[in-house]
Amino acid sequence: MTTSSLSKVASVVGVGHTDYRGDWARVRAGEKPYDSVGYAAMALKAALADAGLELSDIDGLIVGPTTPYDRMGEVLGLDVKWGGQGDAMLSVIQAVMAINAGLCETVACVYGNNQRSAAVNYGGDNAVGGGNFLSYIYHAPWGFTSQGALYAMMFRRYMEESGLTSAELAEVSVAQRLHSSMTPHALMQKRITVEDYLASNFVCEPLHLYDYCLVNDGGVAFIITSAERAKTMKGKAVPIHGVGRYDLNRGATSMIPRLTNFYLPAQQKVAEQVFNMAGVGPEDIDCLQIYDSFSCHIPLALEGYGYCKLGEAGKFMRETGISVEKGLPVNTAGGHLSESYMQGWAHQVEAVRQVRGECGARQVPDCNFVHYSSDVAGKAVSILYGR
Amino acid sequence: MANSKIVMGKDDVPMWESIERGAMELQKCCTCGAFRYPPAPVCPNDLDEKSEWTKVSGKGTILSWVVFHKKYFDDHVPLYNSVAIELEEGPFIVSQLQGAEPEGSWIGKSVELIYGEHAGRIQHFAKLSA
Repeated sequence: MTTSSLSKVASVVGVGHTDYRGDWARVRAGEKPYDSVGYAAMALKAALADAGLELSDIDGLIVGPTTPYDRMGEVLGLDVKWGGQGDAMLSVIQAVMAINAGLCETVACVYGNNQRSAAVNYGGDNAVGGGNFLSYIYHAPWGFTSQGALYAMMFRRYMEESGLTSAELAEVSVAQRLHSSMTPHALMQKRITVEDYLASNFVCEPLHLYDYCLVNDGGVAFIITSAERAKTMKGKAVPIHGVGRYDLNRGATSMIPRLTNFYLPAQQKVAEQVFNMAGVGPEDIDCLQIYDSFSCHIPLALEGYGYCKLGEAGKFMRETGISVEKGLPVNTAGGHLSESYMQGWAHQVEAVRQVRGECGARQVPDCNFVHYSSDVAGKAVSILYGR
Repeated sequence: MANSKIVMGKDDVPMWESIERGAMELQKCCTCGAFRYPPAPVCPNDLDEKSEWTKVSGKGTILSWVVFHKKYFDDHVPLYNSVAIELEEGPFIVSQLQGAEPEGSWIGKSVELIYGEHAGRIQHFAKLSA
């Protein structure tokens, strides 16, 4: 089935984020620069400036999961025709749907998270997220906790089945550190080698420290408007060419979809939807942005979306490459592992900047299409940005 | 840091009572016969509420395993393992392998559930089948 109705109905016209490095330094010095709502507000200010828009131009608001909708809207002073809440990918999709339905014209998507200064726990007692995702807390009696451990369990099985080695998985961390070293706003400026990776500590074996995302404070915002409105604006609009989603909910807590086939069927269904909608295929994609709470998302997405053959992601990463220097560039600003852990939001910013051609040393030449993919807890989502 | 806790939803109570007795029971759907885990108010195949708490054999195979190097709980001190097991009856569960460990890959090894005290409660563990 082809679904094309959402292709190029809306464009991103402004992106912004907080000063990740400055706030990182302040938080490490014991300061609390902003709360989550404050980070989001600062990001929106930057996005409005990028778009050349005023607050009064905004008639839709979608806020991330870490800030309450009502307070966020109040702090921003936004009365809107359409409002909602969602993670990075669903915020974009909701915005496109609302614009397409004529419910509003110009949507601000905002995210703020004080996870570092507020000492949020992603594992152990009171692990965050358990209210929504039972798998995050249900197996605690056996010491099995943290989202990293869930991916470690999944990826161990993948490694045993496919033969992918730790040194091949290291390619992800090494490439993304290379990228973050070319990204002035990224937290991690120092490159690492495969040897550094292999010498690093395990957190939950088989995953090493370098396989894990950072935990830092920050905010991200983007502004999405109708394609017609975008034409009248000065900024460089980046059309959304396709969106897609498929959720594997059955057996989620006991990890059935993780361990049976690594979410592959969800990614394949989304690939069909998003590529059909956009009228392109994997061979047309110049750059990938992949939600990387853990490095192992990358090889699984490479296979799930057809960028390499099934079971060959390790070989692909080692031989073809996944950096701006070699092969198919993935997470060109450093991703969650090395740029900033903004739960998928910063990936949208980087996708837009790559299409605009604003990325300096890490710019992918002739970047026509960027594919964003996430597979968080079995919810596979894709967004295709293009010229 | 604190000790690990059981997530005790309304439907989990009978399962943990059976674990306390040293023989885990899971709900078996009266319509389709499927076992479900975690316990739930209806069967995901047919939304039937009617189920019978049925003792599982405790036999299964290892699907995957991890080894924790970071400490998250007072009552789980690294290094320790967690294993994902496919029970003979179908459900996937998480437990901890005690005693002898396989050489090389753990995947596909036959295990059986055993029961023991941990942090003041009885829970299941796994051991390699003879």
